[in-house]
Amino acid sequence: MIFAIAVFAPLAGSLISGLFGRWLGDRGAQAVSVILMLVAAFFGVVSGLRLLTGLVPDGYVFVGDWLHVGGFQADWSLRYDSLSAVMVMMVTVVSTLIHIYSIGYMEGDRSVPRFFAYLSLFTFAMLMLVTANDLLQLFFGWEGVGLVSYLLIGFWYDRPSANDAAIKAFIMNRIGDLGFALGIALVFFLFGSIRFDTIFADVVAQNHAVYHLFGANLHALDVIGILLFIGAMGKSAQLGLHPWLADAMEGPTPVSALIHAATMVTAGVFLMVRMSPLLEYAPVALAVVGIIGGTTAVFAATIGCAQTDIKRVIAYSTCSQLGYMFVAVSVGAYQASIFHLIMHAFFKALLFLTAGSVIHAMSGEQDMRKMGGLARLIPYTYVMMWIGGLALAGIPPLSGFFSKDAIIDASFYGRGGGYACICVELATYLTAFYTWRLIFMTFHGPRRGDAHVMAHVHESPWVMRGPLAVLAIGAVFGGGLLDHYFVGTGQRAFWNGSISTVNDPHILTSIAHVPLFIDFLPTVLGLLGIATAFVMYMLRPDLPALLAARFGFIYRLLIHKYYVDELYGAIFVRPYHALARAIWHVGDEDIIDGIPRGGALLARGSAGGLVRLQSGSLAQYAFVMLIGLVVLISVFLIFR
Amino acid sequence: MIFAHIFFYVFAIILVASAVMVVTARNPVHSVLFLILCFFNAAGLFLIAGAEFLAFILLIVYVGAVAVLFLFVVMMLDIDFSELRAGVQRYAPIGGVIGAILFLELVLVLGGWKVSPLAAGLRLTPMGYGISNTDAIGRVLYTQYAFLFETASLVLMVAMIGAIVLTHRDRRRSKSQVIAQQNARNPADTLAMIDVAVGAGVKAADIRRPDPALERPGEVVVLPDEETHEPVLVAPEPRSH
Amino acid sequence: MNWIVALPEIVLALSGMAVLIAGVFAPRPGAFQLTSMLALGALLVTAGLVVIAPAGVGYGGLYVADAFSRFVQLLILAGAALAIILSLDFNRQEAELARFEFPVLILFAAVGMMIMVGATNFMTLYLGLELQSLALYVVAAFARDSLRSSEAGLKYFVLGSLASGLLLYGISLTYGFSGSMSFAQVARALLSGTPSVGLVIGMVFVISGLVFKVAAAPFHMWSPDVYEGAPTSVTALLGSAPKVAALALLLRVMMGPYGHLLSQWQLLIEIISIASLVVGALAPILQTSIKRLMAYSSIGHVGYALMGLAAGTQSGTTATLIYLATYLFMTLGSFGVIIAMRRQGRSVETISDLAGLGRNDAGLALAMTIFMLSMAGVPPLSGFFGKLYVFLAAVQSGLWTLAVIGVIASVVGAYYYLRIVKIMYFDAPVRAFDRRSPSLSFVVAASGIVTVFFIIVAGPVTAAAQAAALALLG
Repeated sequence: MIFAIAVFAPLAGSLISGLFGRWLGDRGAQAVSVILMLVAAFFGVVSGLRLLTGLVPDGYVFVGDWLHVGGFQADWSLRYDSLSAVMVMMVTVVSTLIHIYSIGYMEGDRSVPRFFAYLSLFTFAMLMLVTANDLLQLFFGWEGVGLVSYLLIGFWYDRPSANDAAIKAFIMNRIGDLGFALGIALVFFLFGSIRFDTIFADVVAQNHAVYHLFGANLHALDVIGILLFIGAMGKSAQLGLHPWLADAMEGPTPVSALIHAATMVTAGVFLMVRMSPLLEYAPVALAVVGIIGGTTAVFAATIGCAQTDIKRVIAYSTCSQLGYMFVAVSVGAYQASIFHLIMHAFFKALLFLTAGSVIHAMSGEQDMRKMGGLARLIPYTYVMMWIGGLALAGIPPLSGFFSKDAIIDASFYGRGGGYACICVELATYLTAFYTWRLIFMTFHGPRRGDAHVMAHVHESPWVMRGPLAVLAIGAVFGGGLLDHYFVGTGQRAFWNGSISTVNDPHILTSIAHVPLFIDFLPTVLGLLGIATAFVMYMLRPDLPALLAARFGFIYRLLIHKYYVDELYGAIFVRPYHALARAIWHVGDEDIIDGIPRGGALLARGSAGGLVRLQSGSLAQYAFVMLIGLVVLISVFLIFR
Repeated sequence: MIFAHIFFYVFAIILVASAVMVVTARNPVHSVLFLILCFFNAAGLFLIAGAEFLAFILLIVYVGAVAVLFLFVVMMLDIDFSELRAGVQRYAPIGGVIGAILFLELVLVLGGWKVSPLAAGLRLTPMGYGISNTDAIGRVLYTQYAFLFETASLVLMVAMIGAIVLTHRDRRRSKSQVIAQQNARNPADTLAMIDVAVGAGVKAADIRRPDPALERPGEVVVLPDEETHEPVLVAPEPRSH
Repeated sequence: MNWIVALPEIVLALSGMAVLIAGVFAPRPGAFQLTSMLALGALLVTAGLVVIAPAGVGYGGLYVADAFSRFVQLLILAGAALAIILSLDFNRQEAELARFEFPVLILFAAVGMMIMVGATNFMTLYLGLELQSLALYVVAAFARDSLRSSEAGLKYFVLGSLASGLLLYGISLTYGFSGSMSFAQVARALLSGTPSVGLVIGMVFVISGLVFKVAAAPFHMWSPDVYEGAPTSVTALLGSAPKVAALALLLRVMMGPYGHLLSQWQLLIEIISIASLVVGALAPILQTSIKRLMAYSSIGHVGYALMGLAAGTQSGTTATLIYLATYLFMTLGSFGVIIAMRRQGRSVETISDLAGLGRNDAGLALAMTIFMLSMAGVPPLSGFFGKLYVFLAAVQSGLWTLAVIGVIASVVGAYYYLRIVKIMYFDAPVRAFDRRSPSLSFVVAASGIVTVFFIIVAGPVTAAAQAAALALLG
């Protein structure tokens, strides 16, 4: 029951602050939603701990009937197992922190109640997603977070760029959702149910099922796995469906921290892990996941190296880190994936919030080229950024080290892990590089901002700094504390069967025995990356420009994010616009509208013609009669 | 027999030619005269066909009555023929085309001339010997076709009623005495006293004869003095030498 | 001789003459009233005679009384009677119309129509048609001081004469190529061997002439002008009984003498039907005068009725007869409402004058709504059944094109029927109409009842129509 309170408290907060925000005022709305989030976090953590410590068994919290259509059954019920408990704890805690942070960040905004209503609504949708007991409920939460993401990216709806970004995010997500929806449909056709338990119990029996499509025999579970992964790609901004994430930074920074770093974008990873019992029998799908994930990790990291917008750098970093998680999924180290997900939630939220703090200090400036030398001015933020950066770069003993290490080790051992392993190692180096590039550009070197702005640089209020501290604690100690339970020897008891590693039960035990160099490589690479950044941005600040000039092509490629947006523009958007315009003008205006309106016009026109013929002239009438007669005779003679 | 053929073609050609002239003649009176010529030739054709009764009925009715009526109408009505002709010219091309098509189609009819044996049989024995054309018609008209005859009479009666209904009007404007009105008159109703200055004359006092339309028995004629609205005495105009 | 088969016509003609004489000698102000009542009585008596008179062929094969003629003649008499009732008050309100010749002419027109539907000979056909037409020409011009009425009468007369000419030419060709005027003989002549081109061309002329009388496109041009120009009580008559009679005559001619040429004329009737449907669906859209709208609407209805003829089957004939029965009452009822459109003693004739009728005179508006919906073919009103039967007949005969166009036309047509309903109920009311006279209320109510409750009597009516069709097709 307390689990249900954790899930539904944010909904209540959202409804109250959304519907009555006008009467409650900014303070009231903030208070209501934050208090209810605190309640949710409290109950979420308590119920999670009760489960994880074995006080209560796994189970479901039945909420109500939903749909019963023929053989199709869908109930509202909250799945109460280790995976969902971990996710609920993470979501409620991070979300609460961000709620609190937002009090300071959104100070003075025009529509604070709306913001908090959205934020709470998002939390509720995310909780629905992670506690879903069947695919439909998961899809409900999935769409819910997508919707709120759209609303929050476009929160400042008077900015055209925000609106464009919101629409872009929505459409990209819809593309993924199509795959997801198809996957759900196929699951229902194959298993006759969308309840996880029923599906998972039947996976082995359906392993031989095939689809005959275009003359090929497709392994049904692989098809389903790939379709579900397409959904996950959209939500988690994997290569191909990634461009929306960077643009989503148009939203307020707390939104970026909550939705586009900690929670929503990880929904794809969560989906993969949740479906792990099925994916274990879908080797092709897992291979695809690995290739896409690994590629994304490197790809996004390289883009991050060239971006100048502080939030975009972190956004591409998120993209890259999500790639890591998918790599973990592909090799069957789902636990490592979730481990990284949780750790990432902390340190990436921390990074985003510190970035928000910087932006706050810089009066809204996001371009790193106009920053520099802030370390002395906002030391607290500076420290937090360092913590986040170290965690992200995987420097021991911070949390990122443990989770990343687990993934890298698993990828070394995992099935077909070669490619993914190289990718993640490379990405580790790049991650460290762009993170310290960010830190150096922002906090060190000359103060490039204009004097007026720099004069106003100030540390954030305590409501913003407090959450940073909590997140920093998580980022520092989380990894060390939880390593044992998530991926270590205690994992089997910890996960308690909520994650399947049927085919390779030893993957997590074997990562403890990787060769030494693999164990040390990430750390070394991370330090190397930091060193490179130090050289390029501290010792020889002229070097980047030199390199950019020397390798102009690569630089331009990175600056323009591999021209993916332009590519999509050329391949999809413009032809689509052209098609849409054609459909609009020709199909809609001329044909669809044309049939009734043209019919009406035609009718009126013909009526006009008929009426005009009716001139009143006797001779003309007689003439028409004769013409009619001649026509009849002619018709008769011709067609007889 | 050869004479009959010759006359058939003579009559037929004149008939068609005069029919064309009816349509194309500039002067409507000429048109009517050509129409009469048409009727005469048609009567001739009837004669050749042995239908002398029809021939003379045609002459009597159409030439004697209808065509003469036409002539009256055409001469009495003021019709702007140039205006009509403009319309003809406007429709001439398409009319020509339609006419040509119709003509061609009718030629096709002739091309496919295939008389049914029944009709052919009828043609051979139009009537018994020793019976005149008029006699033959009379024998069937009032017996076999009495129903049609009576119906035709109804048609004529409707035509008659129609003609009366559409044209006949009661003339309410005819003059007649209403004695009661005359008796009810008194001098004050009809006599106005007008005071005319000496030597001014009637015209100066603006006295005129009443409007004939108002001059009805028993009706009060008011002759107001436009300036004073007072009655004035009418005095004889002084004679001047 | 068997003269008794034409007893109803004889009685009606004699009554017409008697009524005429009565009118001549009646005191002036009441003459119209008197003759109207007498005419109604005569129609009633004739209707009774139609029911009881023996069936059979009479006058040497010139005339027949059978189930077909009986069915149609009853419709004609009903139409004529209702038209006279409609004129009772209307003609007294309009200058010059309340003359005693009016009902007399209608009686003679009815005689002509009855003769038409009973004709079994081209000569009978022609004379009946002319009798009817001539009487109608005169009543169309009855308001002789009105330019529009005179023009209407003249146009009707001139174009009608042209049509008569076409008809006569066609009859003469038929006679020339078949050797007989009798329907039966012509049919027999056509039975043997392939028909000659001349005969079939003659048939086309006959069709053209007859189709003019029903105002089917493209021989419809006269009808809107005449409908608009003629006094409304005359328009009511023109739109009802003569159409029924002429369509019945068309049925008789096409199914009788030309019946064996079905494959030859089917396409022609289809074309005429389609043209009428199109004109009837499109032209009314832009009309502002309700009378013109009714003219075009009736052209459309003729198109539907012709669908049954085009089917060329017994079911098609039945369908057309049922359509005519429903059409007659819908039309007369609508014209009753149109005649009721008077303000301060003057007729108003634009559609917009109906605005707000729903509030000013709920009963009248309801009746008009019923008629409009019925004309649009909304079930369960009578118009629906008419349309249903003709569509079925057309489909049964495989005339898909015709049926589809018919359905489209009825959809388009529904637009202007519903527009009238919309104007009555949703437009801002203009001033109320004058108090409607009881005679109008009677006709409107009677027609409305027939239209609404047709569904109850649909069985017997259909049976009668089937019997009529059977009599026609033998």
